[in-house]
Amino acid sequence: MPSHGRTGARSRRGWSHQRSAVASLVLCGPAVVLYAGFIVLPAALGFGYSFTDWTGWSKRPHFVGLDNFRELVADARFFDAIRFTLFETVLIGLFFTFASMLLAIALDKLSVMKGLIRGLFFYPYILSILVSALLFQYLANYREGAINTLFRAVGLDALAQDWMGDPHLVPYFIFALVAWSGLGFFTTLYLASLQTIPTDLYEAARIDGAGAVSVFRHIQFPMLLPTLTTNSVLALITGINLFPQIVVTTQGGPGYRTFTIGYYIYHLGVLNNRQGYAAAVSFITFAALVVIAGIQVALLRRRQVSL
Amino acid sequence: MTRRRLFIGASLSVAVVGVFAMALAGCSAEPRNEQVIRVTRNIGGREGFRKHFEAWKAAFERDNAPWKMELIDLGNMEGAEYYKSRIATGDLPEVIMTWEMSNFLADGGHLVPLPDAYYEKYGIELPAAYKGKRYTSQGGLQIQAIVVNMDMWKDIGVTEPPATWDAYFDAFHKLKEKGHKPLVLGGREWSAAMPMFYAFTSDMYDRVVDPAKPSWTKRRDAGEVSFASDPIARQAIEKMIYLVDNFVDKGALSDGYNEEQRDFYGGQGATWMMGCWMAGDLEPNHVEFEMEYWPVPSMIGRPPVIIQTSGMQSGWAVTTSATGPKLEKAMAVLDAFYDPVVYQELLNGECQFGQASKVPATEPKYDWPPAQHLIRSMVANIEQYGTTPGFHIALDDIPPPAFHTSMARVMQEIMAGNRDVDALLAMLDEEWDSGRKGT
Repeated sequence: MPSHGRTGARSRRGWSHQRSAVASLVLCGPAVVLYAGFIVLPAALGFGYSFTDWTGWSKRPHFVGLDNFRELVADARFFDAIRFTLFETVLIGLFFTFASMLLAIALDKLSVMKGLIRGLFFYPYILSILVSALLFQYLANYREGAINTLFRAVGLDALAQDWMGDPHLVPYFIFALVAWSGLGFFTTLYLASLQTIPTDLYEAARIDGAGAVSVFRHIQFPMLLPTLTTNSVLALITGINLFPQIVVTTQGGPGYRTFTIGYYIYHLGVLNNRQGYAAAVSFITFAALVVIAGIQVALLRRRQVSL
Repeated sequence: MTRRRLFIGASLSVAVVGVFAMALAGCSAEPRNEQVIRVTRNIGGREGFRKHFEAWKAAFERDNAPWKMELIDLGNMEGAEYYKSRIATGDLPEVIMTWEMSNFLADGGHLVPLPDAYYEKYGIELPAAYKGKRYTSQGGLQIQAIVVNMDMWKDIGVTEPPATWDAYFDAFHKLKEKGHKPLVLGGREWSAAMPMFYAFTSDMYDRVVDPAKPSWTKRRDAGEVSFASDPIARQAIEKMIYLVDNFVDKGALSDGYNEEQRDFYGGQGATWMMGCWMAGDLEPNHVEFEMEYWPVPSMIGRPPVIIQTSGMQSGWAVTTSATGPKLEKAMAVLDAFYDPVVYQELLNGECQFGQASKVPATEPKYDWPPAQHLIRSMVANIEQYGTTPGFHIALDDIPPPAFHTSMARVMQEIMAGNRDVDALLAMLDEEWDSGRKGT
């Protein structure tokens, strides 16, 4: 009987595992199929195209081996695009990681019109990025844009600038657009984390006579670190993926000065009909992004543990 | 987990996968079988283009009832993205408008060649064949040169077209002294390229195409010449720098075609380097001053000339999506294109000159006197100065497809302060080489 009992138990455990496996398959299956169909398969196809000279027009691409990757190594415009993208990414990363944290702490302390003011900061995020970009394009127009009109109206004509055309100003114009449209989202993530900090920690700090800086340093900052990790990775992705803002506003100009990686891929694949080479650029960018994000997450996790 | 939950989950799973499979299957579905011929056209906000399409549709549907002609308006899109996506889903419209994409489409096996009899039927000079075949209806003669505000030019005593770029620059200085803006030129869009396009195409290419002599494009592709090594290209860049330094206002990089048009039509500029299509918008914009259409000057002592950009295979083409009865009706759409009323609307909308000698429509006709005066100026100057195809020679003898954008980008660089002629020439060479790899 005991052995029969063990067999029965094993059988029940086996059936339970089986049911659990089926349930996993059923529940995850649709997501896996969709992810595979819309993300993994196109990515794999893109990787395959990177070994071809496909133009996007023909049905049968020609295999060119590693030619595209060899060309990439000597492609000055690719490296210019990387430099510009990294410059924007650093600005965006620092801003969304730290400025939005400070803003969240300030908004958290609000006692009046809390919802309204938070809503105002969040509002740009719900606008389509295309709408935001068109709005900024209008604001920045040299002759009729709101910024220069305002300067001229108050007699500060000398401050009126070609915000999108001046090569020294245009990187900050793009940064301002991204910062304005994304600040609300990143701030909201911090705000949500701030709500999870137990109030007795603040109470204890208050009893100990801790000031705002001390509270930030010893309570808020350590407790916000997981969100900081998330935000910094999201900000990195936002920076590396800069594309619609460029298409709508500068289209990579003046000249080639605001080519981001995303825009360069579009320029190659769509405008120059070099889908194969564009796929190679995409693949290298993807690989680099995975490495950078991996390092970033590892470093920030270590920091979290040490705190 | 209960069996019921498992059942619901399984059903949901099957449903999602099914929808996904159907979506994928839909992507490669056969073209629709309705009695409809889909035709692409760039219309956007251009009323003249819309009137042409409506006349075309009416003519087709009148002669081919119950078949319908459906517009796919590509607005201001160049069309390449749209066509590529339709190729990917196997659903190209039956008739498509192509300009410099005919070779890509033909190479991909997406176009149906047209018989020579089609061109002969309407008295159209045979366009240069591409790999031995012809694919497109031909529109009219499209010209590109310089439109001038005669009130301003008369103010400085100039009533005849200057023959050289330097003579233009001298006149521009005089216009400035008189308080006129000598040139409307924006840097944001394709129109930025116009002065450079004119300089290259009038002086680096033979005025008359000699099939026995390779063009600059062919020699560039063969590695015999380059922008960096060509003294005329260098001279052209230097002229562009002078032009920008002296006659283009700060902030021009914020302006595009619309701002140029608004300034010129509003009497705010003396000169506009723009194609003949600008005349089609004079009446809707109530432009009342006197205008003339002047030829493009030379840097190297050649006579001025008007650029002709419609000699290649450009127009509408039948795609391989048109099979069976649809192929016959797609051809009927191309036939309706040369209906006299339809063709007149094309010439009016595009402001082109007739190229189909058996169709009784020869030039645009407007009720607006300044527009009609401008047409007379175009006709007279085509007669006096002649036309050249520049680099629009044939589908296999043109610069890479995005080269116009490359020229615009180099003009932007100049407007942004880049004065390194070698670097600017190198940009043109790099873009040419990169673009050529996509052809």
